[in-house]
Amino acid sequence: MAGMKTATGDYIDSSWELRVFVGEDDPEAESVTLRVTGESHIGGVLLKIVEEIKRKQDWSDHAIWWEQKRQWLLQTHWTLDKYGILADARLFFGPQHRPVILRLPNRRALRLRASFSQPLFQAVAAICRLLSIRHPEELSLLRAPEKKEKKKKEKEPEEELYDLTKVVLAGGVAPALFRGMPAHFSDSAQTEACYHMLSRPQPPPDPLLLQRLPRPSSLLDKTQLHSRWLDSSRCLMQQGIKAGDMLWLRFKYYSFFDLDPKTDPVRLTQLYEQARWDLLLEETDCTEEEMMVFAALQYHINKLSQSGEVGETAGTDLGLDDLDAALNNLEVKLEGSASTDVLNNLTTIPELKDHLRIFRPRKLTLKGYRQHWVVFKETTLSYYKSQDEAPGDPIQQLNLKGCEVVPDVNVSGQKFCIKLLVPSPEGMSEIYLRCQDEKQYARWMAGCRLASKGRTMADSSYASEVQAILAFLSLQRTGGGGSGNHPQGPDASAEGLNPYGLVAPRFQRKFKAKQLTPRILEAHQNVAQLSLSEAQLRFIQAWQSLPDFGISYVVVRFKGSKKDEILGIANNRLIRIDLAVGDVVKTWRFSNMRQWNVNWDIRQVAIEFDEHINVAFSCVSASCRIVHEYIGGYIFLSTRERARGEELDEDLFLQLTGGHEAF
Amino acid sequence: MGESNDDIDQMFSNLLGEMDLLTQSLGVDTLPPPESKPPRAEFNYSVGFKDLNESLNALEDQDLDALMADLVADISEAEQRTIQAQKESSQNQHHPASVEVPDFSGAAALSYGANVTAISVSQYENDLPPPPADPMLNLPLPPPPPEPLSQEEEAAQAKADKIKLALEKLKEAKVKKLVVKVHMNDNSTKSLMVDERQLARDVLDNLFEKTHCDCNVDWCLYEIYPELQIERIFEDHENVIEVLSDWTRDTENKVLFLEKEEKYAVFKNPQNFYLNNKGRKEGKETNEKMNAKNKESLLEESFCGTSIIVPELEGALSLKEDGKKTWKRRYFLLRASGIYYVPKGKTKTSRDLACFIQFENVNIYYGIQCKMKYKAPTDYCFVLKHPQIQKESQYIKYLCCDDARTLNQWVMGIRIAKYGKTLYDNYQRAMARAGLASRWTNQSTVSTAPPATSAAPSTGLKTSTPQANGQIPQAAHSVSAVLEEAQRHVETTKDKKPALGNQGPGAPEVHQLPKSSLPPPPPVRRSSDVCSSPATAARARGLGGGFPAPPEDSLPPPPPPPPLDEDELPPPPPDFHDAPPDFVPPPPPSFAGDVGSALPPPPPPPPAPEAARPPRVALKRPPAPPKRKESPGPAVGGGSGEQDFMSDLMKALQKKRGNMS
Repeated sequence: MAGMKTATGDYIDSSWELRVFVGEDDPEAESVTLRVTGESHIGGVLLKIVEEIKRKQDWSDHAIWWEQKRQWLLQTHWTLDKYGILADARLFFGPQHRPVILRLPNRRALRLRASFSQPLFQAVAAICRLLSIRHPEELSLLRAPEKKEKKKKEKEPEEELYDLTKVVLAGGVAPALFRGMPAHFSDSAQTEACYHMLSRPQPPPDPLLLQRLPRPSSLLDKTQLHSRWLDSSRCLMQQGIKAGDMLWLRFKYYSFFDLDPKTDPVRLTQLYEQARWDLLLEETDCTEEEMMVFAALQYHINKLSQSGEVGETAGTDLGLDDLDAALNNLEVKLEGSASTDVLNNLTTIPELKDHLRIFRPRKLTLKGYRQHWVVFKETTLSYYKSQDEAPGDPIQQLNLKGCEVVPDVNVSGQKFCIKLLVPSPEGMSEIYLRCQDEKQYARWMAGCRLASKGRTMADSSYASEVQAILAFLSLQRTGGGGSGNHPQGPDASAEGLNPYGLVAPRFQRKFKAKQLTPRILEAHQNVAQLSLSEAQLRFIQAWQSLPDFGISYVVVRFKGSKKDEILGIANNRLIRIDLAVGDVVKTWRFSNMRQWNVNWDIRQVAIEFDEHINVAFSCVSASCRIVHEYIGGYIFLSTRERARGEELDEDLFLQLTGGHEAF
Repeated sequence: MGESNDDIDQMFSNLLGEMDLLTQSLGVDTLPPPESKPPRAEFNYSVGFKDLNESLNALEDQDLDALMADLVADISEAEQRTIQAQKESSQNQHHPASVEVPDFSGAAALSYGANVTAISVSQYENDLPPPPADPMLNLPLPPPPPEPLSQEEEAAQAKADKIKLALEKLKEAKVKKLVVKVHMNDNSTKSLMVDERQLARDVLDNLFEKTHCDCNVDWCLYEIYPELQIERIFEDHENVIEVLSDWTRDTENKVLFLEKEEKYAVFKNPQNFYLNNKGRKEGKETNEKMNAKNKESLLEESFCGTSIIVPELEGALSLKEDGKKTWKRRYFLLRASGIYYVPKGKTKTSRDLACFIQFENVNIYYGIQCKMKYKAPTDYCFVLKHPQIQKESQYIKYLCCDDARTLNQWVMGIRIAKYGKTLYDNYQRAMARAGLASRWTNQSTVSTAPPATSAAPSTGLKTSTPQANGQIPQAAHSVSAVLEEAQRHVETTKDKKPALGNQGPGAPEVHQLPKSSLPPPPPVRRSSDVCSSPATAARARGLGGGFPAPPEDSLPPPPPPPPLDEDELPPPPPDFHDAPPDFVPPPPPSFAGDVGSALPPPPPPPPAPEAARPPRVALKRPPAPPKRKESPGPAVGGGSGEQDFMSDLMKALQKKRGNMS
């Protein structure tokens, strides 16, 4: 009906010409011109466009983007008039899903198709579904930081880019598992590899790279990251993202609901990776002791993931051990123990007997190591002047239960000492055992560790403990003496691991590698029995226990204040922090919050707490929308406990985090 | 029959006393149980048993078993004879083997019963992989393990290995029991049997039964070191024997049973610990009040997340360490990973902190009167030391706070950092216990009301004294017990049960238990007692006694509980008067003692799985006859005798009951 002409070729109805570009918003794109009227429905226009193009193609994902208004025309039953579209509108007919490159929490890059037309919240939910990460509400996308061109020279190696753009996910139902992974990953070797990348921890980074990566040197630096969060209530297109852009996918809200190692391999791994990088890049500070634990866990996790022990294995359960395991263990012990006649009598507990050099530090004496005949049985260590005197009374007998075992090892120096701090009613007695070589050391060390926990060498974990110690020593041998510049291929074995890759760079400066290794080794003994997912969970828990964990920093200016300050946003509170000193000035808890408002015009956030406490500030480093969204997001996340279930109350989220359509 | 209950209990209490005396006097010639012979009246315990433990344990068991066997043989003469038996058995320590027999099958922690006899075939099979297990099954059970071992030695290596493993497990499964003297807050003491697997929670439950206390969450076991002037609350999940095993033989240390509001202060007023330091700048030092809902959400936030939150705590404290006499003032910070301090000239940012101590190997104690003893700046001190250290040592660290409030914050903070979620679990369990206790008082009055006439006196009893609380709530620990209870009060329950669900502490408890690693031993066992063995006896009782127990009889099998309860109430008249005042006040324990707990009235209920029960009875019967021959002389065959003593006891009791009715 539209497009009736007179004989002269003039149109006589109210129709007009509408030009629509085909493709993404590229001014050079081909275009089609339609005749439409104000009453034309968007659906009809879409049909016409497709007719005009005359190409066979699946157009179902295409929609019209109105460039000037930065808006998708998704309501197909709306008329052009209702949208207010006139002939001058620049419209683009393009796909709603476009490829982007995601930088995952594990720092790997992944190409996939993301929705450019849905609010980001939904787009992220879809991405997470594809990646099989539960609870997508905890994640969001950031713009990638501006690249500093001068630094990125040609020599940057071509990085592996995983591609999931071709994977199509059936809507609605949760993806079924197939061959141990969500079915949509098992289509090809390529996607399978991608799933492994997602669900398995990455090897430690090259220490040199680690040193090069930017690290925040102050609180102010830590605020930078948070200015880049995208807006959850608007779509990618509206936020100026183009197809092929790089975006970061990160856990945004530090409130991890219902972490389940069994159902969440990808989520757990990515969270672990984010935590690891957070610590390695010193975004979250920790103490030296804590860093050693983190390093030990990383080492352990890496070792397990390299060896392919992804399943729940390592965990050994006292008392209910599988018979086979116990028997294997016994065999190892039979072969490995220092004196093979030990087990002649089957009723005895396995024991170690050997010549060791012993040193007991005492006040005012400087005696060195003395050779003794040492017998280690059950949890008791006895030593004698010589083997001949063994049947008699020992010089000293120490029950190692509850003792502290500290390795004192230098592989290159061929020093294998075990320092024992043995408690007794009178205090602690300190004693050093010096072993001849790694093997001897590993056996005795494993025995000491078990004994300190009240277990004997008959325990099934003894053999694995010995192995773990040997493996760790080899770490020192290869990584220890080097300059810290060890080639770090993806297939780097545990042996070639560099301890510098496990700790934040400031510890690289503080310690030599050979000092670092024993410290990590010491911490490792407490985690050596964990399975992969247990270790990851432990890592995450230790990370969460840090006082500075989960605080997102923003520079703000409080109302009535003349200087900038930092606002820290955590999952349960807001923290006012002195910008210069870093001291906490004041804390407000969300649980006391009555309401918060955003004045979009003057970019001010006003919050009212119980007892008529009012706080107002304007945001400096990030838009107040980001602060607003953080607060609303945490409030939203705190409602999850009650209404348990996988279903997301998206409206509530958008209500809490959005609410600024006007601006 | 009610009498017999009390008899047993009474006797046992006497026996315990006797044993105390006896062991004290014995002390010289026998190396055996240094534990059971208290060097001082204080506390019968000493270290060192780890080395000696084999014979010692055996002896312990035999002691008891012998005692029990005697009780069975002739209840009226039990007292005298048990003393004899005790002597005999103590001389006769060389039968560890027989004791081990049951242990063997009980490789899993599950089946240890009070007298170590609990055996269940099904369990056994579960523990060891079927095929290899078969040969062993035959071996160990009848003969003492050592011998068959030597025979097997020549056999194939594989077989030998298996035996080896079995022995290993056997060792693990060995159960020690000690008599522990607990000091009450009224300066009296109570001796009770504690087996090595019991946690402080179990012992508390046991003490609740024995005392008239209100079971609130503040009750705790408390260890004090007079010599070091330090003291500490036992955490409910701690293994009591393990803690005590660190004490020296001649120790003056004591275990107290008292109320300490510090025990769970953080859960009652989390704001004092979690919100306190915030707003310091504004000088707000008031104990803010907080409404229950906010407290709950604060606790949930702090203890129920993926990881717990340790209270933010920092400040200047005075430190005395390395055996020095002086106190140094330093700025300390508490973190989940330990206590840190700010080195001189550094800031308190994470990267500058130096580690002062980590918590794996130390316990936290209150220091008492440190001002006087060590010239501390104040008396608000806490002490960190390895649990095994018992004397003054440079390895003990003393920290002194400015005021009591700070002290409490540090101590609680350190406990949270050290124990984590366990602390919260403990609290919830304690709450459930307390909640059920108070609830029970109410319910018992209601439920006993109907049988008006005869029950009248008992109702009065129950309400007037809190005795009833002592035991019954314990049964309610487990779900099954709760259900039973519900059944029992068929008429009244309908509305009661929901009430239980709603009850703050009660409800979480039910869910909590499975998760927590702590076995809820007492309850389970009790309920199983009630269900299985006593069933017949109970019924007989109900009928014979002519007690007002009409409804019960009509109830299906599980009802055993009802009869028990009901006729326990009625009998009170005779029953109660007979009861010796000191020990048996709470009828509950007594009734337990009458049937199921023929085993061990006093040793607090060990966690025998419900499933284990029935099979056990069945199992025991067959072997009974042969063993019996040995049992006459309880002293001789203490170990083997114990196998059937239970059935004997049952029979005896039934007979007695029969007579009575």
